[in-house]
Amino acid sequence: METEKTLYSAIPMRTWRWLGVNEAYVPSDVVWNEKDVPAAADRKLSVAKGTVREETVVYRTEPSGRVTIDVAPGAKLHLTKVQLLPADKGHVDALEINVAEGAEAHVTIAELGAAETVTKVTINLNGDGALGDLAAIYLGSGSQKVDLNYVIRQAGRKTKAEMQVRGALKDRSEKIFRGTLDFIRGSKGSVGREREEVVLLNEGVRNRSVPLMLSGEDDVDGHHAVSVGKMDQEKLFYITSRGLDLSEAQRLVVEASFNPVLERIEDKALRAEIEQYIEERISDGK
Amino acid sequence: MEDLTKKKTYVEDIERSLYDIRNEDRSLYKSAKGLTEEVVRDISKRKNDPDWMLQKRLEALKIYNEMPMPTWGPDLSPLHMDDIVTYVRPDAKMTGNWKEVPEEIKDTFDRLGIPEAEKTSLAGVGAQYDSEVVYHSMQKELADQGVIYTDFETAVREYPDIVKQYFMTLIPPTAHKFAALHGAVWSGGSFVYVPEGVHVDIPLQSYFRLNAAGAGQFEHTLIICEKGSSLHFIEGCSAPKYNVTNLHAGAVELFVKEGARLRYSTIENWSRNMMNLNTKRALVDKDGVIEWVSGSFGSHVSCLYPTSVLRGENAKCEFTGVTFSSKGQDLDTGASALLLAPHTSANINTRTISKAGGKATYRSAVKVAPAAKDAKCLVNCESLMLDDQSRSDTLPVMDIQADDVEVGHEAKIGRISDEAIFYLTSRGIDEKEAQAMIVRGFVEPISKALPVEYAVEMNNLINLELEGTMG
Repeated sequence: METEKTLYSAIPMRTWRWLGVNEAYVPSDVVWNEKDVPAAADRKLSVAKGTVREETVVYRTEPSGRVTIDVAPGAKLHLTKVQLLPADKGHVDALEINVAEGAEAHVTIAELGAAETVTKVTINLNGDGALGDLAAIYLGSGSQKVDLNYVIRQAGRKTKAEMQVRGALKDRSEKIFRGTLDFIRGSKGSVGREREEVVLLNEGVRNRSVPLMLSGEDDVDGHHAVSVGKMDQEKLFYITSRGLDLSEAQRLVVEASFNPVLERIEDKALRAEIEQYIEERISDGK
Repeated sequence: MEDLTKKKTYVEDIERSLYDIRNEDRSLYKSAKGLTEEVVRDISKRKNDPDWMLQKRLEALKIYNEMPMPTWGPDLSPLHMDDIVTYVRPDAKMTGNWKEVPEEIKDTFDRLGIPEAEKTSLAGVGAQYDSEVVYHSMQKELADQGVIYTDFETAVREYPDIVKQYFMTLIPPTAHKFAALHGAVWSGGSFVYVPEGVHVDIPLQSYFRLNAAGAGQFEHTLIICEKGSSLHFIEGCSAPKYNVTNLHAGAVELFVKEGARLRYSTIENWSRNMMNLNTKRALVDKDGVIEWVSGSFGSHVSCLYPTSVLRGENAKCEFTGVTFSSKGQDLDTGASALLLAPHTSANINTRTISKAGGKATYRSAVKVAPAAKDAKCLVNCESLMLDDQSRSDTLPVMDIQADDVEVGHEAKIGRISDEAIFYLTSRGIDEKEAQAMIVRGFVEPISKALPVEYAVEMNNLINLELEGTMG
């Protein structure tokens, strides 16, 4: 019945097949070939030595793209990716950032729209003292499928990685988050932190979390944590007792969870647009 | 920076002479190498299998031949099935009297301290040498209460109805290639039946030793704890070192009925040429509890992930594991829990240590089914690396399909902090002992869960492993 699917991404280390988390495939309505990406969808950027660059990528109609960025020594990148595609579209994108000595990459992602999202982010901390800081939110509602594969590779000495992902799932939505911290041998003195928090808004959702930590180096400090649970019932009771209905209460709880990530988006208009989008999605849906 | 250039003494390997005693191979019979229908029929005939068992073996063989090798995990290429002897019958008959066990076999178990353990702290013991159980005993009062503890062949003959009802239902040959292999060539192992309401206060133990070179051990363990009963079962494994690869593909099926409690402890110290591809599963009914305590120290390659299927309301699983991977070892261990009913809970707690180029992988799966309202699951895995030649990887998966759940996962990786060593040495403790103290502290949650004799054995293993390793 199924036509041949195109492999899009995989976790760096395979596990049991029955869990269905080893690979992600390109959504059936998207035409995408990694080896032959049309020039318009394939952006290559760089941040020059010692400079600061801010970039924003917003997907509103175009379903797919790839961005590759080299951050030169001592440079700083602030990248924001926001995906607000219509609810019947598939979405595929890749982001690869190479971070040189003493450079910083700060990445903020809001993965909100599309029927099926398959996305990957790779941050290579190649230089000594490089910093990779990735914060993402996602919202699944209706029958949306969200598939995220984030990898931070720590190759230089004394690198620092921070990965925080906050999500909410509603209706019959499904999500897979694969988050990898990879300490390469030689990455002495490096620190990596990964944290995922998921709020489940009703029954019928499916959450899969795959937090990997790989290490070939002993002189590192790695930590990851995942917490998955229902909305805090006391909080919910408190809010609804103040006269708000359930969907408003849900919106408040989700926004509170997303805020630490949303606050990183400096463009006020874009932030307002995201908040509006979240509000609409939580109040209708089903 | 000083901390970046710190040197470590590199230690090749530990002294394993206690475990690596190689007895002369005086087997009465060995099956032909490799795996064919003739070999399976021959094993079945020699074991006097009833026909239904032969049919099960042949069916498993068919599945084995059709199944692909796993596409994940450690490299299994050193394993050549055509060179593995699947059945070795030692030159000894099963006995209930230690004095009657042939001198050479007895000597081996004596050196490993098995009879002393029996005298002091066990309710019963079974010892398997190569493919057959050679010694079995149980305290009389347990037998009087209706507890059955026997080798698996006897169980097939004397309790066919119980065995038929449970055998390879939890680990069907279709589970994976090595489960199918087990189904085809299983031999030896233990059968325990604890009747309703009976509490076995002191542990039962079985000990497996593989002596013949290039052989496989495929023991089957089946434990049934009826309603409201309780049991602690301990399994120990070892083998001497040969230059040919040995294979261990046992299967452990545990049935924990309503309100029953079973603790299953393993200290495994196979020799460093063993491929340990073992499968363990427990099925837990309402209010039942399964507790796993699992120590993996030996083998060349291990794939071991005890699985708890919590199908009854309020069923619980506690998993405590420690894995120590040294030179030439690739130990891929962890646990799985399937939470299928309301109010079920799973608590998985592991520690892994890697050194001298050893590779330790923690792999787990937690699945919460839509029906599992108010399920709780906590996973905690910590990894300690003792040098920069080794590897330590963590690969947990959580699949949550219910909303009213609490699921938490935490993992840490790192090395012994210089501050801790400095603090201890400034208190007059030498550096080597300071490091050993920290490692013992690191595995304390596991040693606490073991009976004292086994905690001591585990500490000894850790001390042996650490000898000479300097931070």
